[in-house]
Amino acid sequence: MHLIQRMKIWKELKRLERRAQQEPSPSTFVDLGQVYINLDDAAKAMRVAQDGLALFPDSVELLKLRDFANRSKLKTDVADLAAKLQKTPSAKGYRELAGLQLDLGDAAAAHATCDAWSVRFPGDAGPWLVLAQSRLSNFYRDLSAREGEEAVRCLQRVLSVDAANARGHRLFGELAYRIGAIEAARKHLQAIPVDPAEPEVQAMLRQLSVVQELGDDITALLREAEEHGALPNAPAIPRGGQGREEGMGRIRDALAHIAELAGVRKATYIKGSRALVKGAIRDGKDSFLRVVRVVAKAAHRFARRIDIGNFNKGVIDGPFGHICICSYGEVVAAVQCDQGAATTEILAELQELVAGSLYMAGVES
Amino acid sequence: MSKIQEALTELRRAPGVKGGALVTADGLMVAQSLDPRFHDEAVAGLTSFLLSTTCKSLADGGMGTCERFVLHATHGRAVFAAVEESFLVVLLDQFADFDGCKAEIDVAVQQLRRSSRLQ
Repeated sequence: MHLIQRMKIWKELKRLERRAQQEPSPSTFVDLGQVYINLDDAAKAMRVAQDGLALFPDSVELLKLRDFANRSKLKTDVADLAAKLQKTPSAKGYRELAGLQLDLGDAAAAHATCDAWSVRFPGDAGPWLVLAQSRLSNFYRDLSAREGEEAVRCLQRVLSVDAANARGHRLFGELAYRIGAIEAARKHLQAIPVDPAEPEVQAMLRQLSVVQELGDDITALLREAEEHGALPNAPAIPRGGQGREEGMGRIRDALAHIAELAGVRKATYIKGSRALVKGAIRDGKDSFLRVVRVVAKAAHRFARRIDIGNFNKGVIDGPFGHICICSYGEVVAAVQCDQGAATTEILAELQELVAGSLYMAGVES
Repeated sequence: MSKIQEALTELRRAPGVKGGALVTADGLMVAQSLDPRFHDEAVAGLTSFLLSTTCKSLADGGMGTCERFVLHATHGRAVFAAVEESFLVVLLDQFADFDGCKAEIDVAVQQLRRSSRLQ
């Protein structure tokens, strides 16, 4: 960069820094962060976003700036680490790189890293463990049997390389427990040394004597889970207490926000037999709730049987307006809105609500 | 070739469209232009199941009937549009530009409605 150009940018930065201090507002912080992003300094952009969020915690622009800066920083870290691994490959470096790529949501790149890692270090169970974790998160999110089978294949590789790998046994045991392969779950969970920091393993072992054995054919059980859109066994430690209340509070807030969107008449969030409702719904017998449950179930069946994956979104049009449905696993969120309402935006909000609630469930577990 | 078949064949040419079919409410295939991976009997049966279930639940709740249903799944999409007593089913891949296909689907629905009335 030309010296004069540098001086101009430096002057502009000083001016914006001063403005952010003297007249703090979300836009002054965003302007300053934008300059740092243009200068490829994601770390400073992140600092600006965090300073701004300390003063304006609900600012959408600042949240976006923080996310963008975070992604830019991750991308820079990935590029640096990949270059370093070209020169001096190490198992630790590959693990870190695959983790960063998964944080960025780039599963394909993470899988390629794991492939390279397994070729360079064939005696290391790490790449198979990372792949298994990535496949397992996809399986628990979409209940896709294909992802579950891949996860099992990766876990088998982990245990063939390192038969005592506690993490591998833990993940395999949990998967087997959740799909109902009780004997397989017992075998893997009993292979883990007792660790008081992992109470869930002990809780799962206790649960094994209570839950029903559904068979030992893991592939068939995975397909059954996909077919039914639900796992037969819930996590061993129930998600309760304050965290759950807080989570429900957030879901309620998000649903209230959706119910206030232009044209929305009724909104619901359904998990299992329970439903949260907002808008013009009198009670649990409202026909809208019945339609949503029935249609989501039928659409799941249609999509699976016709082999186009899992149903996740749908819009029904009729004289009643539109019914927008978003569904993942056993969670369904839906609204009834007027003709002409912005269904694309509404679907995006519903998707956000469902994904957020599943994420919270994942964090709690 | 009948007008109905022509409309379905024309629709199939749209980018991302993997097939189109006209199915009666009770699951009979009137005409189809489907990718070989889809079995026409399965498409007809499943469409009838989905739409009869949807229409029944709407009617039970006094909400009227289903005029159009757009279904998004992880590996594809399906659009169902009411054509007189039948339904047009359009199967798309997950990468299809849905907004781009919308106009072509509307044209096909109009053509099918005209052809159905003439028959």
